[in-house]
Amino acid sequence: MAYHTSIYLFLFLPVVLLLYQITPRKIRPFVLLAAGYVFFWIISGELVWYLILTTLFTHYIAIWIEGTEVKNKKGRKRILIFGILVLLGVLGYLKYYNFFAQNVNRVLDQVHPGVAITMKMIVLPIGISFYTLQAIGYMVDVYWKKIPAEKNLAKVALFLGFFPQIMEGPISMYPQTSQQLWKGDPITLENLTGGSLRIIWGLFKKMIIADRLYLVVQAVFEHYDKYNGVVIAAAAVAYTVQLYMEFSGCMDIVLGSGQILGVTLPENFRQPFASRNAAEFWRRWHITLGVWLKTYVFFPVSTSRIVKRWNHFGKTHLSKHMTKLGISAIALFPVWLGNGLWHGARWSYLFYGMYYFTILLLGIAVEPIRDQILKVCRINQDAVWWRMLQIGKTWMIIFTGELFFRANGLRAGYRMFRSIFENFTLDKLWDGTFLSFGLDKADYFIVFCGCLCVAIVGIIRERSLLDTQQMQKVCLPVRWAVYYGLIIAVILFGAYGVGYQQVDLIYAGF
Amino acid sequence: MQDSSSRRKKIVRSVIFLAGLLGLLLWMSHQITDFTKKNGDMIQGRNKSIVEIQKEPENTIDVLVVGDSESYTSVSPLEMWKNQGVASFICGQSGQKIQETYYMLKTALTHQSPKLVLLETNVLFRNMKGVKGIQEEVIQKADYYFPIFRFHDIWKNMLLGRKYTEERYKGFTLRDMVQSYDGGQYMKETTEKDQITQDMENYTDKILELCREHNARVMFYSAPSPLNYSYRKHNAIQELADKKQLLYLDLNLHTEELSIDWKVDSMDKGDHLNLSGANKVTQYLGAYIQKRYELPDHRREAAYQSWQKDAASYVEKAQKRIMLIQDRGNSGK
Amino acid sequence: MSTLTDILMEIDDSINYEKEKALIDDRLLDSFAVISLIGELEETFEIQIEASQIIPDNFNSVEAMEAMIRRLQGMD
Repeated sequence: MAYHTSIYLFLFLPVVLLLYQITPRKIRPFVLLAAGYVFFWIISGELVWYLILTTLFTHYIAIWIEGTEVKNKKGRKRILIFGILVLLGVLGYLKYYNFFAQNVNRVLDQVHPGVAITMKMIVLPIGISFYTLQAIGYMVDVYWKKIPAEKNLAKVALFLGFFPQIMEGPISMYPQTSQQLWKGDPITLENLTGGSLRIIWGLFKKMIIADRLYLVVQAVFEHYDKYNGVVIAAAAVAYTVQLYMEFSGCMDIVLGSGQILGVTLPENFRQPFASRNAAEFWRRWHITLGVWLKTYVFFPVSTSRIVKRWNHFGKTHLSKHMTKLGISAIALFPVWLGNGLWHGARWSYLFYGMYYFTILLLGIAVEPIRDQILKVCRINQDAVWWRMLQIGKTWMIIFTGELFFRANGLRAGYRMFRSIFENFTLDKLWDGTFLSFGLDKADYFIVFCGCLCVAIVGIIRERSLLDTQQMQKVCLPVRWAVYYGLIIAVILFGAYGVGYQQVDLIYAGF
Repeated sequence: MQDSSSRRKKIVRSVIFLAGLLGLLLWMSHQITDFTKKNGDMIQGRNKSIVEIQKEPENTIDVLVVGDSESYTSVSPLEMWKNQGVASFICGQSGQKIQETYYMLKTALTHQSPKLVLLETNVLFRNMKGVKGIQEEVIQKADYYFPIFRFHDIWKNMLLGRKYTEERYKGFTLRDMVQSYDGGQYMKETTEKDQITQDMENYTDKILELCREHNARVMFYSAPSPLNYSYRKHNAIQELADKKQLLYLDLNLHTEELSIDWKVDSMDKGDHLNLSGANKVTQYLGAYIQKRYELPDHRREAAYQSWQKDAASYVEKAQKRIMLIQDRGNSGK
Repeated sequence: MSTLTDILMEIDDSINYEKEKALIDDRLLDSFAVISLIGELEETFEIQIEASQIIPDNFNSVEAMEAMIRRLQGMD
């Protein structure tokens, strides 16, 4: 029951909203909690126990940490580490056991042929990668005394199991959502209309654009050996667009669902394609994962003893730039390792993490040289052409990253990347190759127009030309025309029904 | 005071907005239904029958056949017309789900009042478990009330001038492919039985209720298909039919009376029947239902003149195809 | 605490620290700047800044940083 399916939109969500509205204020959070567990159960059945046990565990660890004397620093730290290790252990076991076994077997096969670790059929509980991070964040926040440990178990449970967030995040921090979730305010008309509009916008991205591009992506990535040159390059672009439209579209549905219930969930995307460099891209793309890694990995590592020692050493022996580069390397490595691993047990994902690690580090390394060049050439950094150039460069980095991310294995990714430069002729774009993937000219036209709409909305947001408040002031007929237009567009141009297949959410698999 | 009046204004606005949306959807649905009736060849295969049944003159059909591909490959309405003068129509679809069966019937019954609904039983085993079943129900319900959902992407065929032309005879098409079935006897008597889920039974009840409201009787039948049927399934269907007091005709037990020749009559190795097989089933089934349900013979009625004309053209074409089938079957191609 | 301003100027001299009240929220200082800043602050003011202190509220303005430094000095 993914968020874009009719059963969620026309049955589950309305029923939950209705039950929420008709129950007394004090009961409402429990309606949400029950909805979360029903949602989880519908998708993952009995595996809902993982969520329940994680909740109980997190709750009591937090209380234990708080109950330990402040002076007993070591004791508190031990409890925290125990808590983190258990949660990561479960996640790691479920996600990486087979990957581990497979690679160990590869080695064993060389040393002792015939000896092997058995592979297991492991079914992942839905959203485990998301709620585990939230649980760890909560425990650390209590340890850091940013927040008191929550005494009410149900509050922790709702924080970890709020149904719109279960499948794909956003990964929120306890202070961000817990109070809102517990308010039990009645649904207001403003929230209902605003949230619904956002949901329709999400469907627009997912059903009109992403589900069409899926066909191109599927065809080329699954049979990459049949294509080269511009076809592969276009497929990488198509996948990036598909992923963005799908993930951010799903987030629109998720945040819209939250908005109806009066809950403001953290945003996960902020016009990522307007980024001028890779670092900025990651502050605009899957924001909540980036923030989580920054808060719970990057800063702790960068204030750790190793970094301090390096800092000290650098001060006396190295240039300022080198010192900074060293700190960056030490602090960024675990972040990007974590990012790669988090996506799942595949060498491709690890590569993806290391790819961005390298690029970000390179960015820092060449900073002084770049600044010199800019100065010598007297380039105005705010000039439009320079900005465009930077954005274009960032796009190349993004597309390449997603190519490796999506490819069936690292080797396939490498082959695909290499084959872009073989036989690169633009006429492949027109010779009918792209009509053989199950999309016709009309489909491409729709995709193009859809992307244009998303881009225009993106520019409006980026430049803050029109916020929600101002939107309310636009005259009613225009506003209604836009709303009706959106709904009709989704109905007419959505890729659903006979001749289309329903496409599962990509990030729900992580 | 001002607060509550602005609140009321907002609520009124929302209601008007939604009413407008509803009106828009209904209007579009109406337009698209008209359009599809006039441009049947722009409709893809699976949706053809639901358009065509709505095009038939009101209350002219006496027998409706529903089910998955086993239904439309086993009954030929114009063959039945030729033999018994019974006016039948096929509302089967490839891979029809029971939810679709229900809404297909519901659509058909708005303009038609058949005396008999023939349900091909293979659909009873196409389980849509739990959430998937509910999802399908939501989708079919939406398609039923707002056909714009079902035909939403017809603009594409209009734009590109794409057509899906098929020679269709009251929901039937002439299939002349031959791939023999040579697996031998497949209905070995046993007391074991397959499972028909509670969901399926509930839908059967819904269908029976719907037909009762429209004074149509329901009969189960199973088309001869070694790939899809077995005695275990037979037992399961028989049990359900007994429970609901329905007549059940399993043609898999009558292949000899039907004189099915698996070398010639199978289209794809025992999955579906071709034209030759369908004609044989239709001859048997037509006589069977006419006797039991006292179905009228319309052949001399002026209102059914077009049927006579269609049947003549059907017979002519069918004969040629059947000769082709026999050639293919006997030469072992 | 003029030394604090000196440290900040050392890190980025294009910012008007008197005026800016959202150094982190407006991304005037990025995470690397914050890290360098922390190293300098720890050394100069002889304090320990733990990861838990790295929240926008503590670094958004000169006043906020001063308050944090005073708090941490007091604790030691």
